[in-house]
Amino acid sequence: MNEETKKKINQKYEHKLAHGERFWPDSLYKDAVVALGIFLLLILLATFVGVPGEPKADPSDATYVPRPEWYFLFLFKFLAIYGQIPVLGRIEWIAAVLIPGIFLIVLTLLPFIEKKPDRHYSKRVLPISVMGIFVVSVVTLTLIADHPLKWDAQYRLTSLLQVISGLIIPTAAYLLLFLFSFLLKDQRASQGMVLTAGLSGVLMVGLTASVLFLAPVPEVEEVFVANTLPDRVVAGQDLYSIHCVECHGDDGSVTVIEGVEGLDGTVTSPISGMDVLYTFTDATIANIITYGQQDLGMPPFGKAAGGELSVSEIDYIVTFMRYSWDDRFEMPEIPELFPPLAEGEVPSYEVHIAPIAKRFCISCHREGKDNNNYLMTSYDEIIHSGDSAPNLVAGDAESILLKVIQEQNILDENGEEIIGVMPPKSVLKPDVVDVWVRWVMAGMPETVDGAAALSDIVEPVER
Amino acid sequence: MWRKLYAWLEDRLGLEEIYKATLDRPEPKGNWWNTLGSASLFLFLLQGVTGIFLTVYYTPSPDHAYDSIQYIMNDVAFGWLIRGIHHWGSTLMVIVVFVHMVRVFVTASYKYPRELTWIFGVGLLLLTLGMGFTGYLLPWNQRSYWATEVGTRIAGSVPLIGDSILRVLRGGPDLSALTLQRFFSGHIWIIPALLAAVIGVHLYLVMRHGESHFPDKDD
Repeated sequence: MNEETKKKINQKYEHKLAHGERFWPDSLYKDAVVALGIFLLLILLATFVGVPGEPKADPSDATYVPRPEWYFLFLFKFLAIYGQIPVLGRIEWIAAVLIPGIFLIVLTLLPFIEKKPDRHYSKRVLPISVMGIFVVSVVTLTLIADHPLKWDAQYRLTSLLQVISGLIIPTAAYLLLFLFSFLLKDQRASQGMVLTAGLSGVLMVGLTASVLFLAPVPEVEEVFVANTLPDRVVAGQDLYSIHCVECHGDDGSVTVIEGVEGLDGTVTSPISGMDVLYTFTDATIANIITYGQQDLGMPPFGKAAGGELSVSEIDYIVTFMRYSWDDRFEMPEIPELFPPLAEGEVPSYEVHIAPIAKRFCISCHREGKDNNNYLMTSYDEIIHSGDSAPNLVAGDAESILLKVIQEQNILDENGEEIIGVMPPKSVLKPDVVDVWVRWVMAGMPETVDGAAALSDIVEPVER
Repeated sequence: MWRKLYAWLEDRLGLEEIYKATLDRPEPKGNWWNTLGSASLFLFLLQGVTGIFLTVYYTPSPDHAYDSIQYIMNDVAFGWLIRGIHHWGSTLMVIVVFVHMVRVFVTASYKYPRELTWIFGVGLLLLTLGMGFTGYLLPWNQRSYWATEVGTRIAGSVPLIGDSILRVLRGGPDLSALTLQRFFSGHIWIIPALLAAVIGVHLYLVMRHGESHFPDKDD
């Protein structure tokens, strides 16, 4: 750039300054308005959207689908699409390092690459087209980041659209842009470039929209996250009731294990005693649950050691143990297992039976346990499964399940016990038994609405 | 009385000069797009303030990081608000800094005499992304753990020096307590210190050359 051009630029700027405004208060006023707006927006987001809960990091959980922070998603998606290219796609660093690296160098050195002093957009068709396609790429790649890129029948079309929109169009557009800028002159070059940029932008947006429309994002299984202390204690109690109760009993006081295959007669310390709770830290208890104590007969429960519990779930169990049994901790107020029933009210599976089954039955009545094939983890299983099915008959007070939970075992013709009382080592409280009886007698509705339709409430209870 | 005090301070601090140099500057006719830079600065300061509050309770160790954030969210008065602002502020900051970059590009404000302002600006964009990357691991939850796992692995795909980069980022071959510790250090000391320094240079350059005017047909 020669001195004359520099002088011209500086003169023009002086002129603009003379006819402009003051930094204070004119510009600062606008800045302050924007800052205030941003601050209010953030407070609203923090209050009404909040920060989504996530389970604790679990390095042993290889099934977790990794996903970067949203503003790196476009790069992540670009990598995935690039990986579809035969041969070249195998060399990951070309897309992960080389292409972004070149882009960054160009971006940094931009003032020395685009050297002409022209500033008005009409004289900068090439740079603006290049940037425009880049911005559209970033936005569209971010939007389709969660859509599967697979070549089976269901996703073949949308995967192809993704490759076209995310890789082929931008590459072709960049090639065309540089071709036009080198081969054509002034007016025609501009026209060609504007046309290329506009058309590819429209195509990319259109293809992205059709991907979004055609390919539903596979639903990610929601992981339950207990955020508040009562939630954690309840989650811990539910997990304890499923995984620990068999050996340690519902109050953790068992010293000699009974009635558990392979472990009958094993001596264990009472885990609700202060000997354990005072001398073991949370981390120690969590480690014992995770890895087990195999010389003493306790199997590992953590995913890290081949069990089925996540790090967060084990934390919940430890929290439950602390707050329920350790006398230095005060139990927070815990919501009831199920809402109390009014006279004439019919309980439903989803509100009453499911939490009861989880707390008292599923420990044994799930896959892989000795339970005569009677599983209780879903509505259908509770009603239909089992060697002695049907265990429940709507309206039949003599149903097997109702008998055994009311301390009557089932005998065969010779007087031998086929099914013992349930649960084997404790007795359900009357209100729990009452829920079961009412539910069966009223016809075993699954949903709240179904139960409400059958109800004939005399007097609502105070909640 | 006040006038006397002011005169005394003015004698020693040179307030008039500061006022003239920083606030009482002429500018070309402004436009709302020109607020994006100051909005980025505001977000940087807001992230700084909320971040400092968070360090009061946050513990950068795999055993306690997750629980300390649970504690901030549930038990610290207005902890949820501070964390919420910090969480959403990071998202907004990336957007605002990016749009600021695009704005400067479209109006070609990086041309003579503002080339250096642009180069330092690109540095600020990268440092902002670095803040996002390091901060994302700190809650030590599933999402952050695996995002960092995959992020550092991609950085490790660089030919020849990739393995060294990966080891420097992770503090060893695997993601561990060391990784969390150095991401924490990077997030609250190293990158913010760099950011503050580069912001200083960027602002000095902006003041020295003034805000560029909106280009018209002759430019």
